[in-house]
Amino acid sequence: MTAIRQGWAILRKDLLLEMRSKEVFTSQFLFVVMAMVIFYFAFSPNIKNLTTVGAGMLWVAITFTSLLGLNRSFVHEKDEECLDGLLLCPVDRATIFAAKFIGNFFFLTTLEVIAVPIFAFFFLTGTFLPNLGWFLLILLLGNVGICGVGTLLATISMNTRARDLLLPVLFLPVMVPVIIPMVLATNYIFTQGESMSELSVWLYTMAIFDIMYVVAGYVLYDFVIGD
Amino acid sequence: MNQDKLALDVRSVSKMFGRRQILTDISFTLKTGEFLLIVGPNGAGKTTLLKILATLLSPGSGDAFVSGFSVKKNPTKVRERIGFISHNHLLYRDLTTYENLKFYGEMYGVKDLDARIDELLNMVELNHRRYDTVRNFSRGMFQRLAIARALLHKPEIMFLDEPHTGLDPHAVDILDGMMRDMSSTTTFVMVTHHIESTLSLGTQALILDEGKIQYCSDTGIDLERFRSIYGKVCGRGIEHDCD
Repeated sequence: MTAIRQGWAILRKDLLLEMRSKEVFTSQFLFVVMAMVIFYFAFSPNIKNLTTVGAGMLWVAITFTSLLGLNRSFVHEKDEECLDGLLLCPVDRATIFAAKFIGNFFFLTTLEVIAVPIFAFFFLTGTFLPNLGWFLLILLLGNVGICGVGTLLATISMNTRARDLLLPVLFLPVMVPVIIPMVLATNYIFTQGESMSELSVWLYTMAIFDIMYVVAGYVLYDFVIGD
Repeated sequence: MNQDKLALDVRSVSKMFGRRQILTDISFTLKTGEFLLIVGPNGAGKTTLLKILATLLSPGSGDAFVSGFSVKKNPTKVRERIGFISHNHLLYRDLTTYENLKFYGEMYGVKDLDARIDELLNMVELNHRRYDTVRNFSRGMFQRLAIARALLHKPEIMFLDEPHTGLDPHAVDILDGMMRDMSSTTTFVMVTHHIESTLSLGTQALILDEGKIQYCSDTGIDLERFRSIYGKVCGRGIEHDCD
C-alpha cells in the first residue's frame, strides 16, 4: 500500500506539473502533426495508396515524438535538484520507475488519441476498421515498449551534459526489437486485414520484449538512479 | 531522549569520484541530541560526507549507521529518520506551497497531513502564500519553505548543507530559531562556512581538509584547538568564512 500511495503521489505530481506547463504535450503535438503533414506531401504525389507506407510513417512519427517526451520527463526533477528531494524520501526506487513509466505511458497514449485520427485522415482508407481492436492493441504494446525502455534510458541520460543527444543514441538501437514487429504488425493490419496467424507472431514478439524492458527497468532502476 | 544512544556512527568511510579520492577513512560518532558542525575549505569533502549520510551517495568503502541503520543495507529506514536542507531548496517551482508540502508529506506517509502543513506554514510564516505557485518566491521564502519540507515527517536527525547561503536576516532568524527550538529533541549535522555565527549552536565540531579529518571533537569543542587547526586548514581565523 505504501508503494501505491507513493507511486500515485509521484504520478499525480507529474500530471499536475505537465497540466501547468504543457511543455511536453505542446511540443510533442506540434512535432507529430508536422511530421505527418510533411510525410503526406512527400509521398502523396508518387504513391497512389498511402496505406502501404502508413505503418512506417506512423511509427517513425510516434517513436521520434516519444523521444521529445522522454527527454523532458525528468526536467522538473533536475530543476533545483528536486530529484535529490525525491531520492531522500523513503521510497523504493522501483516505485519511482513505475510512476515515471505510467506517466510517460499516459502522456504518449493521450497524444496518440489525438494524433492517430489525424494520421488516419491523411494515410488510411476504411479497410482496416474491422481490425481496429488489433490496431489499438499494437499501439498499446508499442507504447509499453517505448515507455519501458525510454524511462530507464532517460534516467541514465538525465545526468549527462549531452542528454538530448544521448537518449536517441541509446534508445533507438535498443528499441529495434520492438519497432520492427510494431511496423510489421501495423502494416499487416493496414494492408491485409484478414488472416490473424502472422499477426500473432509479431504481437507475441512485442509482448515478450515489452515484458523484458519493463522488468529490466523495474529491477535495474536502483542502480541507474543512484550515484 | 536517550542521550547515550548514537545518532551517527561513521566507520572508515572512503569515497572516490573516478580516480579522485574525495573522502579517506572517515570515522566518528555523534550522540543523540548533539549539534555537529562540519567545516573546512571548498573541496574538502563536506557535502560528499553529508550526502553519504543522507543516502544520496553510497560510500565507496566503510559504512555509516544513522539511528542504528546502515546507509548501505537499510537506506529506506535511514531516509524515514532524516531531514535534509541544502542551499538548493528541492521544491517544484510550478507547484504551490501547499502542493509541494502535500507531495512530500504523502511520500513520507505523514499522518494528519493538513494539520501538520498548517503548523509548519505558520512556523515559517508562509501560510498567507499557501496557494501561490512557488516560482516567484524570493530566496528567503524558498528556504523557509524548504525548512518546512524537511520537518514534515518530524525527523530524528537533520542534515543541513550550508543552509544560511543567500538567506535574508529574517530567514536566518527563522532557521536559527527552529534549530534552537528543536535542539532538545533532534540531532543536527550542519556543513557551514559561517563559523562565527553558528559556533554557538554547535556542541561538536569536525574539520575536514582534502577528504581527511583534521579535527574531531569528542566531549565538546575545544575552542583553542579548533581555532588553531581551523586557521591552519583555511589560512585564516574563524571570524572569516572558510571559502
